[in-house]
Amino acid sequence: MSQYYGRLLLLVVLVAFPWLIGDPYYQHLIILFLLWVAIGSGWNLISGYTGQILFGAGAFFGLGAYTAALLMHKLEISAWWGLALGPVLSGLLAFPFGWICFRLRGPYFALATLALNEIMRYIATIWESLTEGMVGILLMQTFVSKLPYYYIALAIATGCIVTMELLMRSRLGYYFVSIREDQEAAESMGISSVYYKMVSLTIAAIMMGLAGALYTNYMGFIDPRVVFALFDISIMAVLVVLVGGVATIYGPVVGAFIMVALWELFRSGGFGSLASLSKATGWPFMLTVTKYVSEAHILSFGILVVLVIRYLPNGVMGDPAKLRKVFLFWKRQAT
Amino acid sequence: MEVFLQTLVAGILKGGLYGLIGMGMTLIMGVMGIINLSHGQLMMVSMYITFVLFQYLGLDPYIALFISVPCLFVLGVIIQKYLLNPVMRVEAILPHNQLLMTVGVAMVLTEVIRFIFASNYYSVRTSYSASAWIVGGISFSVALCVAFVIACLLTVWFFWLLLKTDLGRSIRAVAQDGEAAQLLGINTERIRFITFGLGASLVAAAGTLLLPIYYLFPDIGGRFTTKAFIITILGGMGSTVGAIFGGLTLGLAEAFGSTYIGMEFEDLIGLVIFVLVLVFLPRGLKGLTGV
Amino acid sequence: MKRTGYWTAITLTWVLVCAGFAWAAEAPIKVGVILPRTGEQAKFGEIEINSFQMALEEINKAGGVNGRQIDLLIEDDTGKPEVGRSACEKLIAQDKVIALSGGYSSSVTFAICAVAQQRKVPFLVTTGSADKITEQKWDQVFRIAPPVSEYPKGLMSFLQDVVKPKTVAILYENTLFGQSGSKEFAQNCQEAGVKVLIKEGYEAGAVDFKPILVKIKAAQPDFVYMISYVMDASLLMRQSKELDFNPKLFVGGAAGFTLPEFAANAGEASEYVFSADLWGPKVPYPGAQAYYDKYKEKFGMPPDYHGAEAHACMYVVADALKRAKELTPQAVREALVTTDMMTLFGPVKFIAYGKKTQQNELPTYLVQWQKGILETVWPAKVASKPYVYPVPPWSARK
Repeated sequence: MSQYYGRLLLLVVLVAFPWLIGDPYYQHLIILFLLWVAIGSGWNLISGYTGQILFGAGAFFGLGAYTAALLMHKLEISAWWGLALGPVLSGLLAFPFGWICFRLRGPYFALATLALNEIMRYIATIWESLTEGMVGILLMQTFVSKLPYYYIALAIATGCIVTMELLMRSRLGYYFVSIREDQEAAESMGISSVYYKMVSLTIAAIMMGLAGALYTNYMGFIDPRVVFALFDISIMAVLVVLVGGVATIYGPVVGAFIMVALWELFRSGGFGSLASLSKATGWPFMLTVTKYVSEAHILSFGILVVLVIRYLPNGVMGDPAKLRKVFLFWKRQAT
Repeated sequence: MEVFLQTLVAGILKGGLYGLIGMGMTLIMGVMGIINLSHGQLMMVSMYITFVLFQYLGLDPYIALFISVPCLFVLGVIIQKYLLNPVMRVEAILPHNQLLMTVGVAMVLTEVIRFIFASNYYSVRTSYSASAWIVGGISFSVALCVAFVIACLLTVWFFWLLLKTDLGRSIRAVAQDGEAAQLLGINTERIRFITFGLGASLVAAAGTLLLPIYYLFPDIGGRFTTKAFIITILGGMGSTVGAIFGGLTLGLAEAFGSTYIGMEFEDLIGLVIFVLVLVFLPRGLKGLTGV
Repeated sequence: MKRTGYWTAITLTWVLVCAGFAWAAEAPIKVGVILPRTGEQAKFGEIEINSFQMALEEINKAGGVNGRQIDLLIEDDTGKPEVGRSACEKLIAQDKVIALSGGYSSSVTFAICAVAQQRKVPFLVTTGSADKITEQKWDQVFRIAPPVSEYPKGLMSFLQDVVKPKTVAILYENTLFGQSGSKEFAQNCQEAGVKVLIKEGYEAGAVDFKPILVKIKAAQPDFVYMISYVMDASLLMRQSKELDFNPKLFVGGAAGFTLPEFAANAGEASEYVFSADLWGPKVPYPGAQAYYDKYKEKFGMPPDYHGAEAHACMYVVADALKRAKELTPQAVREALVTTDMMTLFGPVKFIAYGKKTQQNELPTYLVQWQKGILETVWPAKVASKPYVYPVPPWSARK
């Protein structure tokens, strides 16, 4: 039971958070964090555990987002139903995706998913009569306060993590990993790789579609560039789990936290502290530093990714021993 | 008729440049088995180098070629040696860390350039940037024609390198069977560095040649990376002839698609062809010929 | 472990010190501005930020608002709506600004509007041009500049009076600005009896426009209307020159066509190209030429309408702050409603017309590139130079 203390504590903190910190700015950041936990878990399932590197997370996220948006925009049905229908459609999308891509191995699978993601983005952009193209779809948010969105996001994220826990303890999890480790050997043991890869992708798609549907409801505005985004969604999904730890349940949690925090830390110049400091001291040097720091957020990501892959290939959760060594290395230098 | 011919010319000329872009990537893919998702960004770096040489030293891009190409060769070697090679040897859960590393490299290259040059649009305007020869009512962009010719020359030179020199033979050996090559005394690690460098130089040449008729912006790399792997798959992995073939095919498909279907479909066409080829013709268009 | 504690203490202290500085400093009036500092739209963000700051300096030097200085807090939306949203949340919740301005990209502007509306902080939209922005009956949202559907007003009157074209080809980039702008323009043309021969979108960043240009050339439209960002605009003109394509005129739909980079990159191919524009240094509003000259001197490049919008916004906000009964968002909003002033961008009065609310209604102009300088050419009474029409074909030019 003690092994659950850490996770329960995390859950309690997250539940209590909006009451402790009423600042909607931080609430917004945590909502983003929770969305990434969901997307990251989905990616982790198909790529980390089943070994099929997906560069097309945006396709499922985007489909979930558009489902919710179009329900309201075209059919005048509340976009909240998108939380039910979105994941279903994303899950269904997994079938043609899988049919096209699973016959390909490794990097070719990755590229094919990337291509399909981009194709979906183009279709959404060009098919204006259905999606309004780049004009986008604007919805009025149902709630003024962030709390309902926060708790729904928390429920989704928790659901994804719990699903991952259950899955990876079950036989399905074992099959997924065996496909990743050695597909031929798995096949020869009677594990249908196509079937289980499809199961894995479908569940991953459902998670991402769910996140997408919530995104529409929360943000109130979507367009193809935002939700089918190659870099902002698909590649970010990869980075989140890579940094946090592939093939670990809590990798996406750690990764999502690091990425969201880092992004905002850089973008806002230390959450506004650099700006305050420069204003207070009036040093022009500080102003330049602030400017450079706020523009450096993607550079920091890139460097982080390179360092992680080079020195910590299994991410923070995946290589805790290595991580300790890295910190010890710093300490030793300080001495 | 004029529309058809102009489209044809546009497709072929663009295709030549595409072929050059694809050759670099296919070489890297063939010899090292990795897909380099930072390919477009390498091209972008070479374009910036060319721009700087033009802006501050007044060097014409065609002369800057002699500088940008070796620079990118060195950059390629450095990337391979310090970033990609070590990752190849590490045991990690995900076997495709090299692919992800190239993604990281792409991000870093883009952002470093943005740091230095900001997000401004720059271009290089030479005397021939907007001039064209009009032959029989069809416009031939001077810069693209020259790029096409140089691309052909580079291709020929490259073939000579691969077929007739020791280095080329070593590269082909490592591409065919790395372990066997090592047993035969070839320093496979060094060959890998050189190959990545060569791949980078080829795309650097493409970038320098493209600059007079395009423009510079830190984010243009991604577009060309996508084109590069479409071309590589079209032509068959590892086949340099195939890359030229793939480049021409993509160039023509885009041009005809633009004219007869609609310009918004231009990039979509390439992507759809890509998926179709991956699914139905895994060995690229060459698979059709049964070679 | 002791070392970790040591570092944690240092970090915490640093954070507290910064926060302390922020709290202890004399509190001027805080106004938030959200613009793209980085990303693809950074160029426009830069012009607008520079202009906001220029205006701020002038206002503060003249005594600020009833003696108090204004503090402009500028946040980067990086061109993405969810970041725009984060930025807005931060400005409202953490920095406690009492008014917001900015908003370049329409999609980012939407996201900001939603937050401003929810949190009841007035938002003066600087550029975001989608018509829908002021069609939602959002009482917190005000817009100083015309919506994209009105951009070609000046152009249309020129066409009707001078050119009288029968056909047009429309080419636009596949962005919100391009898709909605082209739709509106096509409608304007149909109402004016001009036949739209070709209307095609393209993905920004294309290398070769020759296929579509040659198709348009073969259709022989009287004029070509293009909605593009600056580099695509340059390439379009250069390649039109290469194709020796000579419609009666080329017209741009503002945006990329009015930036100085357009002429710099297109070179001779930019000559005689027309464009819709929202402003020019010769417009009959006080301070327009002075601002143009001052900006050009300070930053090396002349400003365009985006800068003028930003500059005017700063003055409108300052004016509202002066008139507000108290310095709270709601009072500032009420002051904005009764705005009635003149700026270098034009008169500012927020009215309701058509489907729009709290929208400033302004005329638009037609400009033409002549010898690398953007001259206002229509309506004649505000023209800086007479228009050149008919336009000499490429081959006849030196």
